[in-house]
Amino acid sequence: MSATQQLTFLARYSLTLSFVVFLGAAVLLPWVGAGPISLTRVLQHQAPDYEIFIQLRVSRTLLALIAGGALSLAGTLFQAMLRDALATPYTLGVSAGASLGAVAVIAAGWETFLGVPITWIGALAGALGVLVLVLGGAFRRRQISAFSLLLTGIAINSICAAFILILGGFASLSRSFSIARWLIGSIDATSYFSLIVLTTVVLIASVTILTQARSWNLLAVGERWAASRGVRVGRLLVNGYVLGSILAAGAIALTGPIGFVELIVPHLVRSRISPDHRILMPCAFFLGGALLALCDAIGRVVMPPAELPAGAVLALIGGPYLVWVIRQRTPAEEI
Amino acid sequence: MSDLIEVESVSFSYGSRSVLDSVSFRAGKGEFVAVLGINGSGKSTLLDIVSGFRKAETGSIAIEGRSQSEWSRREIAQRVSHLPQAVHADLPFTAEQLVGMGRYPHTDRWFESDEDHKRIRAAMERTSCWAQRRRAFRSLSGGERQRVLLAACIAQDAAALLLDEPSTFLDIEQQLHCFSLLRQEAQDGKLCIAATHDLNLALTYCTRLMVLADGVIAHDMQVAEAHENKEWLGRFSKRLDMGSTPAGSPWVWYR
Repeated sequence: MSATQQLTFLARYSLTLSFVVFLGAAVLLPWVGAGPISLTRVLQHQAPDYEIFIQLRVSRTLLALIAGGALSLAGTLFQAMLRDALATPYTLGVSAGASLGAVAVIAAGWETFLGVPITWIGALAGALGVLVLVLGGAFRRRQISAFSLLLTGIAINSICAAFILILGGFASLSRSFSIARWLIGSIDATSYFSLIVLTTVVLIASVTILTQARSWNLLAVGERWAASRGVRVGRLLVNGYVLGSILAAGAIALTGPIGFVELIVPHLVRSRISPDHRILMPCAFFLGGALLALCDAIGRVVMPPAELPAGAVLALIGGPYLVWVIRQRTPAEEI
Repeated sequence: MSDLIEVESVSFSYGSRSVLDSVSFRAGKGEFVAVLGINGSGKSTLLDIVSGFRKAETGSIAIEGRSQSEWSRREIAQRVSHLPQAVHADLPFTAEQLVGMGRYPHTDRWFESDEDHKRIRAAMERTSCWAQRRRAFRSLSGGERQRVLLAACIAQDAAALLLDEPSTFLDIEQQLHCFSLLRQEAQDGKLCIAATHDLNLALTYCTRLMVLADGVIAHDMQVAEAHENKEWLGRFSKRLDMGSTPAGSPWVWYR
């Protein structure tokens, strides 16, 4: 088998496997929950099984799949841009901006605007504000580098975190609880209109990112390396930051700032399948979505009728697993 | 000999510190040019500017007779490959994947073709790193990494190779192999420009020496002329002197 055939085989095999896992999660996980649901009753559109299944279980599973995929892909992208396996949308301030926007509207007591939950609008506005601030701050002499992006992102991240603390401190007790609850991150049932909007945005951003996968490979090695192999580094960095922010902000607006999925999934795919972004990125999307949907399903069944937030389940499962993975690394891998 | 690279009155400074002050030179196919100079003399900056990574404050660069700004980034990469001084690659790319990136400017295919893989293998075999192809780049020793990076430059198949200290981290045998390989590339019609601190390697393998000092090219000479006027050695240290090997080649030694 030639090297080209080997690469094509690896890509097809890993992509198919990841997609099957994603599809499996979409088909099976809606059936997991505090109470049993009858397939026959669902097929016959009988209440309450049909409503619970379609309006609650399916919609939140789809939300988890799309949001998890978007966050995981955004993490993969930022890790390539910053050449750091620990980089996430949090590192560059996007998540903190979205959180600040959402926390601000919760603290103000606003709930909906034209029927749309105001936290969505707040999160998107916050992320957009941070996007403009970080890009504006990172440009020097009309040039941008990953280093200036990183430093500006970290600075804005800290400022946003400080404002979140201040708003949380000044809010009333009930709003303060709402803020804390939102900041954990969770998957809730959502309207299909919201899902269609999120899916469309995530799909466009993801495909655009994926078409530049070869360039992300080069950028992940170094800016000088990429530039001398024909990549327009400044333009690629701005593209990556904008697209990654859209993915992260879109997901966070609907779920809250769920962490870990953007860290653990790219790490696992990179070490177990391939660091090549042509394979890594689509696999990270599918497996990230499946992992978040699985964590949400686990959160539904461990303490019925109460539900654990998906963000908490993910951290409880992902944290120890990541430590285990790190302990398995050989000394050569740690250089 | 046609001029592949033309550098005209290029200046560059880092803040208030001027590094290059109206530097001009031309170099053509078949030449192996050593860019020499003490630390901070602007060798790496000059290579960065010629490769298009940095913009000169004043002056112009032409590649194959056409202004650098008129070429797209990709067209430049098809003509000029650049080996930076250090590549960290913390993410776990294998040596073969890294060398494969050298083919980026030549193809729009999603995956490299069989022809690309043949070139990747040939480049890795030439730099003696084919055996390490499946190892993660970050797990390689300094010398092994340098050979992989050199292979990536060769796989890029550009007419000009700009190399920033290509023999760094290499053991003596590999240093000799690296410079003899670059000389062979030059003899095959490529232009090689290497920044180096090793004067003897430069004298043995290069065809031309350019010494950067005080922001300008203080000396620009064919290697054959280097032992006739030893003034250029003073740019590095007063303790240097030059003699000849038993074979008659110039040889720098220190007192």
